[in-house]
Amino acid sequence: MRVNAETKIETRWRILEAAEQLFASGGYEASTTRDIADAAGIANGTLFNYFPNKEAILASLVAGVAAGIHADFENRSPEDGSFEEVLFAFVAAGLRRLKPWRKHLPVLLETLLNPLTLAPAEDAVAMRRSHLETVARLARQHGVGDLPAVALQLYWTLYIGVLMFWAQDSSPKQEDTLGLLDTSLAMFTGWLQAEKHSTTHKKKGGA
Amino acid sequence: MPPTLDELMRALPEVEPAEAESLGKPLAAASLWPVPVGRWRRLRLLGTLQAKIGAAYLFYWIRGWFKNVEHRERLLAETHWRTAVSLLDSMSYLRGAVMKIGQTLANFPDIVPRAVVETLEQLHYDAPPLHWSLLREMVHHELGDDPENVFASFDKQAFAAASLGQVHRARLKTGEEVAVKIQYPGIARTIREDFRNFFLLLLPGRLNKDWQSTKDQFDDLRARLERETDYSVEAAVQEKVRALFREDDGIVVPRVYPRYSTSRVLTMDYLDGVHIDEFLARTPSQEERNEFARKIVRAWARILYAGRLSYADMHPGNFLFLPDGRLGVIDFGFMVAHTDDEWRDLHKVDRAMTTGRREDLIAAIKEWGYLTDSPEDADRLRLHEAFAEWCWLTHSRGRSFDFGDEADFRRGIDLFLEMIRKRYSRARPCTPAIARMNFGVRALLYRLKANIDPRPISEEEVKATGWDRSDYA
Repeated sequence: MRVNAETKIETRWRILEAAEQLFASGGYEASTTRDIADAAGIANGTLFNYFPNKEAILASLVAGVAAGIHADFENRSPEDGSFEEVLFAFVAAGLRRLKPWRKHLPVLLETLLNPLTLAPAEDAVAMRRSHLETVARLARQHGVGDLPAVALQLYWTLYIGVLMFWAQDSSPKQEDTLGLLDTSLAMFTGWLQAEKHSTTHKKKGGA
Repeated sequence: MPPTLDELMRALPEVEPAEAESLGKPLAAASLWPVPVGRWRRLRLLGTLQAKIGAAYLFYWIRGWFKNVEHRERLLAETHWRTAVSLLDSMSYLRGAVMKIGQTLANFPDIVPRAVVETLEQLHYDAPPLHWSLLREMVHHELGDDPENVFASFDKQAFAAASLGQVHRARLKTGEEVAVKIQYPGIARTIREDFRNFFLLLLPGRLNKDWQSTKDQFDDLRARLERETDYSVEAAVQEKVRALFREDDGIVVPRVYPRYSTSRVLTMDYLDGVHIDEFLARTPSQEERNEFARKIVRAWARILYAGRLSYADMHPGNFLFLPDGRLGVIDFGFMVAHTDDEWRDLHKVDRAMTTGRREDLIAAIKEWGYLTDSPEDADRLRLHEAFAEWCWLTHSRGRSFDFGDEADFRRGIDLFLEMIRKRYSRARPCTPAIARMNFGVRALLYRLKANIDPRPISEEEVKATGWDRSDYA
């Protein structure tokens, strides 16, 4: 039987919906791909036509949430304040959205979102791209200019570090994560300034 | 060939003029720094601070050998200024408990040079702010929504900052003007880290025979400061203290709004008053100053006698001079509730001070300081007696006293410093808090140059205790 595009989208959606419910009720670790397939009403083998493994399903779910964050942020009126402050607001808005997924994040962070992963899943790539695009746009809007690739890589490393800390943060209402985020972003923007200064200096020196 | 004096002079390090000339720079820079949490990083910072101050004075001393007197005075002023700037710089960065110590120092205008005091005083009102995005998250975490949704209006700019939080003006949807105090995230741990660091710095003193007592007092202070990080505890104390005052006292404690308060956020009435410097800058008359001084004494006595609490945060930043003549008392984070044992001892001190009988006083001091009749305790007893007299006599002698008398104020400071120098720290654990309170009251009255008789106030207020002073004779 030929499976048309519409059926494909629908099946994919059913898998994600079943997985979301199972992860929420029984937890990520306890749910198997077989459980997900059963709940979605498909054969176990069929599931692998859509997702190579359970992590990819989780990544897809989280990517859906993350897409919402960017939409939230795009629709907001332009923020006043420094680049650091706006960046803080952006990441903090993301944490609010991702809160139901907080405890499941380490699985993704250790595999798909790890900055050192060589072949990340499609959803993870998309999530990272759209997140970094927003960061780059905010940098341009706040007079920081175009962020070089190395700056984005550094930012991503810090961001993943904050997420990892957050996933295991046992302080009241995870307030320590806010402190860490503040420190990380101060470090990042401080590095950007130092970079900019040394580049300008070098240019001047060379002229 | 040996270097000439001029060459030696030039070789001594100088603080960059730009660094020393303005406080704006360290304050602005400090606002960008988060609260440092790592233990070793903080310890290193403390070490650096001491090194900076030590070096500043050492250089002054060495340079002074080669300078004429007039020039030396100028140099001394510069050295004080640099020290003040580096102190403020480091303390703003460390916030938390270190700032508390800075605030205590600011109460002693005469032990530390004027420039240092003026700089330290900024800690009461002008600690560096945290940015809006971070604060918004804190409010969202604590009150469940963004400040702009919780309140009818919310001022993004903090109007005051304290050691543990910063304060924003806002209006409730029901119309009340409020002050919202928001705590820096992670400050509780900052304080624990600070105390571990201080403890390490104290360790060389562990062979001293007062060590156990020092350690107990230290642990007590640590426990209290840790409790202070919980605003819900502060809110409960504030409501208790508020209930102690009536309208005709002319003393006002802001009302707490529990719906908008948590362990990290404290919402209370906004008081439209000025701090002591601004009040004094208007050159108020002696009577105006005396009137505020009486209210300060009354607030202190009411809180102690009726509330059985010591107000250990008795520093200028916590008193507001309202335009209608009322005194506003704010910030109840650091209150010491007295145990029954302590209360019995305080009663004995009160008896001794009221009767003026020396044997009563000696007995009370011995009990308070765990002192014996052995000759080695004789010097301790002498010092404690003199200090107790300095603390309490002005309150019980029954005639006007010139609290602006610099020599008398200086005497109290000298006695206190002598005790510290001799490491006479054996006493009830609540002693540092009581010392803070006593110094705080005296320092405020000194600044006001008050000339009042506190006895009628204390006679009136002591009635709340049920102690019968007529019975003392």
